Amino acid sequence: MMRRPRLDLRDQPLAGGQPLAFGIGLAVALFVGTLLLLSAGHEPLKIYTRMFEASLGDPDAWAVTLNRAVPLGLAGLAVAVAGSMGLWNIGAEGQIMTGAIAASWVARIGGEWPGLILIIAMLIAALGGGGLLALGPAVAKAKLGVNEIITTLMLNEVAIRLAQWLIHGPWKDPDAYNFPLAPMLPEQAHLPTLFSRAHCGILIAAGVIVISSVAVKYTAWGYELRIAGSSEATARYSGISLPHKVLTVLVLSGGIAGLAGGVELTGTADRLTESLSNGFGFAGIIVAALALMRPSGVAVVAVLFGAVQIGGQSIQTLGVSSSVSTILQAFVLFGAIGAGVLSRYRILFEGDTHAVPEEVNK
Amino acid sequence: MTHSSSVVDGNQFAVHLSDVWKMFPGVVANAGVELCVRRGTIHALLGENGAGKSTLMNVLAGVYRPDRGQLKLHGQVHSFRNPADALSAGVGMVHQEFRLIPSFSVAENVVLGSAPSLIQPRQLEAEVAAMAKKFGLRVDPTQPLWQLSMGERQKVEILKVLWRDASVLILDEPTTVLTPSEVDELAEILRRMAQDGRSIIFISHKLHEVSGICSEATVLRQGKTVATSLDMAATDAAELARLMVGSSPVAPDRPEVATPGDPLLELTELRASGDRGIDAFSNITFQVNSGEIVGIAGVAGNGQRELADVIAGLRPSTQGSVTLNGADVTAARPQQRFRAGLAYIPEDRLGVGLAPRLSITDNAILRIYRQQRRGPFIVAEKALAYCKYLITRFGVRSGDPGGPIAALSGGNLQRLLVGRELDGQPSVVVAAQPTRGLDVQGVKAIQDLLLDQRKAGAAVLLISEDLDELLTLTDRLLVMEGGVIRGEFDPRTVSRHEVGMAMLADTNATTR
Repeated sequence: MMRRPRLDLRDQPLAGGQPLAFGIGLAVALFVGTLLLLSAGHEPLKIYTRMFEASLGDPDAWAVTLNRAVPLGLAGLAVAVAGSMGLWNIGAEGQIMTGAIAASWVARIGGEWPGLILIIAMLIAALGGGGLLALGPAVAKAKLGVNEIITTLMLNEVAIRLAQWLIHGPWKDPDAYNFPLAPMLPEQAHLPTLFSRAHCGILIAAGVIVISSVAVKYTAWGYELRIAGSSEATARYSGISLPHKVLTVLVLSGGIAGLAGGVELTGTADRLTESLSNGFGFAGIIVAALALMRPSGVAVVAVLFGAVQIGGQSIQTLGVSSSVSTILQAFVLFGAIGAGVLSRYRILFEGDTHAVPEEVNK
Repeated sequence: MTHSSSVVDGNQFAVHLSDVWKMFPGVVANAGVELCVRRGTIHALLGENGAGKSTLMNVLAGVYRPDRGQLKLHGQVHSFRNPADALSAGVGMVHQEFRLIPSFSVAENVVLGSAPSLIQPRQLEAEVAAMAKKFGLRVDPTQPLWQLSMGERQKVEILKVLWRDASVLILDEPTTVLTPSEVDELAEILRRMAQDGRSIIFISHKLHEVSGICSEATVLRQGKTVATSLDMAATDAAELARLMVGSSPVAPDRPEVATPGDPLLELTELRASGDRGIDAFSNITFQVNSGEIVGIAGVAGNGQRELADVIAGLRPSTQGSVTLNGADVTAARPQQRFRAGLAYIPEDRLGVGLAPRLSITDNAILRIYRQQRRGPFIVAEKALAYCKYLITRFGVRSGDPGGPIAALSGGNLQRLLVGRELDGQPSVVVAAQPTRGLDVQGVKAIQDLLLDQRKAGAAVLLISEDLDELLTLTDRLLVMEGGVIRGEFDPRTVSRHEVGMAMLADTNATTR
């Protein structure tokens, strides 16, 4: 007789589960990628070498990867901060856009300001722009219990259309020969360079991630957040105001995503474009999920994900579609989540001894 | 896979369970249970909470496999591996929690899992409507489920079982979600099903409902059968109540008579709704004085949990007032009530009293983290020191204070929770099921803590389903049933039997 397998909860998760899970995820992705590349008639080894060299091979490659890790990390942080309280911010994509729009607006009115002041004003505006887009879903969730997944997701479209309207309409550059382009940012609005092509955004992102991690881990505010994320009933029991928490956390989450848009604008873009958010907001969900919704884990995952994305772009010159990179990213996630499950569960077969449900009788 | 043989004896029984044993770690849920159900009858399965009713029915419905024992349906021996086996042998169960899909129509819910491969909605609806009509179940098959009341949803669950042509239907406490008129309707439906030759097992602990509906009864107590196939017509309610609650002697080590002081907790005309929007309790008026323990006895689901939540400020009251130390706190938030001297030990430890995914330290400081701040930060050393203090003072056996709270055993969880709540020297303690599920040592530790509070002059309200515990610890005993207080007793003189009768609301016609 065939013995059917089933999952059984381990008493303790396996030690070092998450890095291991991530490693397994990468391995699964590479394996599937190998099959894909072979089926398309490529040499996997050559492709992978190229991917590695282009993303992590030398300081120039690192610079590009780190620049990519900045929006990924900030978007991931935005999702993770909301996730610490059990909320899902699926709207980082749109919040990145409104953040960038707000920063562009500051650049338009502050064209003559000194660089440092202009950049700081742009980043603050970006925070506000992202926070503003999250405000609606936050109020609806806090006051009426409206599902934030739906509302934040829908607003993505609104934010992107808003950017399109601005670029095609009021903000259209008169000197761009009627092309729908926003004007270039003033020269002094660009973030200073750190090394090679890496801009200072990596410092900003690192700083924000550290501050957020410390806030969630060590402050009373973060403690209340974690209580509410663990059990809403316990939060109510201990007198924590849930609506207030939901409101502040979702707006903050939106603000962080908006900041990602602001940094991306001043760091790597030279003008507001329709594609500025570039899927970072959605990739941020994956980054946060792989970091188990812990702000402290976001940085490492963002750099690795940045490397996968940059590596994926680089192989286009070898005639490989950049979709391969997208597929690889997806399989890193699948593999890591699958491995994550196995670090918490074990596989038993029917008839094996197992823990019985504790609830014996009502 | 079902094994059958051609055993003929006991052929007159639709269901014959004999010598059923089911053990869980540390608990014997069923110890040699017998159950015989005649074909075409409505059979009551009675017993207090924890008597083993649900376990036995889960064995019959294929959810659990018995450790020992025999299961015969219509004279044939069966051994179910899963609920699907049981269903195909004709045993269907209507659980207390409905398993229905809100966005589906009634008909779609009914055929779910056993629908023909090509679904023709009109035809299915007509078939479901015909079946509903036959048994007097008034539901519209085209209606989406989310529009239905709880009573109507139950009918859908019953239809689901009938659709699979179950000859044996198990209803697990079916009346808890029903209004009185719906109960009458259900009784009529069950009678029709019995006339159709089906056998119904009706799990309950409400005697007055069962006596009108069922013809025979089996009574369980502490996992054993104390009476099989009693003729309901020939058995009076007092006898059934005695069988259910037993007549074991009250433990002798009761505390000295209290000299109660001022009233510290006063409830006046209190009323509140339950989760389903209907009144969970109403017209509750009593007070708890300094230096006494007042007990609330009652079968689960009679408003006790909601009452505790209302006192703690976790559920709004719809009428009446709550007074703590002379101050009206009816509109106060939970934290304000805590500061006013209320300690609340909730029934749901891990999930209300404690946050399951956080560390032991994080849970230890839940009540005092606001006092441990420096700027925006919680001072980690203070938090750890407080956690260690609670662990030492209340004898919590734990490893690393930074480790997950969920790794603690039930008794240690409760020691930490009770300790944390009592550490602030509260003037009023509300404890809901504080010893449920604990081992003997844990029970003793928690009971001693409550007695210490009484000695220190606190007013203690103890809500429990354990009658022995209430009779031992309390100075006054209130019985709650159907959301109202059914009586007040002196635990020193009252018999278990009298309390049991009040708990089961067999005080003539005063039922809801």
